[in-house]
Amino acid sequence: MLVLKNSGIDLTKSETRTLLSFSFLYSFLVLVILGVVSFLYYQFQKDLMLQEKRQVLQSYSNDLIFRLKDLHVNIDKNNIYPRDERFESAIFDSDKKKIFSTLKSKDVSLNDIIYLSHNQIHFIKEPESYYLGSKYIIVEVPDDGVWFEQIRYKIVISFLFAFLFMMVLGYFILRLFLKPMRDALHLLDRFIKDTTHELNTPVTAIITNIEMIDKSSLDEKLLKKINRIEIGAKTISNIYEDLTFVTLNNQIISNNEEINLSNVLRQRVDYFNSIATMKKISFHLNIEDDVFLVCDMKKITKLIDNILSNAIKYNKIAGFIKVNLDDNILSIEDSGKGIEKENLKTLFERYSRFDKSVGGFGIGLNIVSLIAKEYNLKIDIKSQINVGTIVEITW
Amino acid sequence: MVKVFLILFLMVNFLFAKDEDNIYESNCVKCHSRLPVTIDKYFYRYLLKYSSEKDVKKAMFAYMKNPTVEKTIMAESFITRFGIKKKTNLSDDKLMEALDIYWDEYKIFNKLK
Repeated sequence: MLVLKNSGIDLTKSETRTLLSFSFLYSFLVLVILGVVSFLYYQFQKDLMLQEKRQVLQSYSNDLIFRLKDLHVNIDKNNIYPRDERFESAIFDSDKKKIFSTLKSKDVSLNDIIYLSHNQIHFIKEPESYYLGSKYIIVEVPDDGVWFEQIRYKIVISFLFAFLFMMVLGYFILRLFLKPMRDALHLLDRFIKDTTHELNTPVTAIITNIEMIDKSSLDEKLLKKINRIEIGAKTISNIYEDLTFVTLNNQIISNNEEINLSNVLRQRVDYFNSIATMKKISFHLNIEDDVFLVCDMKKITKLIDNILSNAIKYNKIAGFIKVNLDDNILSIEDSGKGIEKENLKTLFERYSRFDKSVGGFGIGLNIVSLIAKEYNLKIDIKSQINVGTIVEITW
Repeated sequence: MVKVFLILFLMVNFLFAKDEDNIYESNCVKCHSRLPVTIDKYFYRYLLKYSSEKDVKKAMFAYMKNPTVEKTIMAESFITRFGIKKKTNLSDDKLMEALDIYWDEYKIFNKLK
């Protein structure tokens, strides 16, 4: 995450999710690899210990075979199984059927030569002659566990060090992966910054001059043309402000004050009225008077502008836009084409666009979500295909 | 009259009782008891070579059906002195029955302490 902070870029949720998934997957892989290596080391040490014990157990088994031989010869006189305090033992026939056992372990494997099971070391020997029918002779001694005590801390410490090292390595790999993405975003932001800067002056000049024209003195034909120029200039101005907001978001300091939201809303509807008229869209207003909200004037205007602009942009010809404002809820409903259900989740991501038939950068709702987040406003979007979309903002 | 019945009863009883355990007793022990090596020694020699019940019985069965010098488990000196036994006249089932009794008599399972 440090990489993201250092980059100064507000990575979108999906990108952050991808990075988190990568980190999780990488950590999981590292854990698996280290787990396997630790297990192999444990197995190696265990085998080493068993090899050391093997000689002793071999000598025990030879003793036992010698005594079994004696018993085999004298079985008619003696039927006491040979026991030894140094080890436990058992004999099995060629069908692996137990003949006699003093073992502590109930289940034994006759397929191995030497193995450790339930803290008991088992050694299996096949004598040349089957005294008393015993094809398999098992010698069992308890494992003192000293070897494991010695390697336990070694394994844990090595594991932790290796894990830490791999995490550091992962951090650098992550940086490497992020670089192209960061560069691309930087490039895009720089391009937008440069473009918008160059647009600002001419657009401001157009709007200011149009506002200065006395529209009452104009004939109808010219008025229509002037209105079209005004709409075009306002659209460019809107895009300019959106892009400026996005690129300078981190640096904009909020100037919070108590704002009469009812007035601001009416003013913004009025501002967009000329654009809406072009598509014969009518506004149905139900705005309660004197609803106040503490926030930055420019930011709340941006929020309303973006929702209204979308409601017009994606509306059908001669549709409607219902604007309702209560004490703690602002809802803007349009009669547009609606949004697919699966697209609702990624609606607020920057540069995400679902309808390419109309222009745009895919930053409008990202701006709305950023502003809403700043002022703890809850956005709820309900949409039905070919019916319309309702954007509800509660606080 | 009572005495006659009693004698008859005892005779019948004696005859049947002898028939019950005698496939092994009459067909194996009878001849082996004439040899200086007791019958159990053969068993332990088989056990020493064949280990499990299945393998021991299989080897004994094969030998009884067709005794040869190659198949014997006894020492060469023993064979030189006493020779190879004759083929058994018992049917497969009867021979197997005798071998089962022989196995149960001398098996090691549950005998060690």
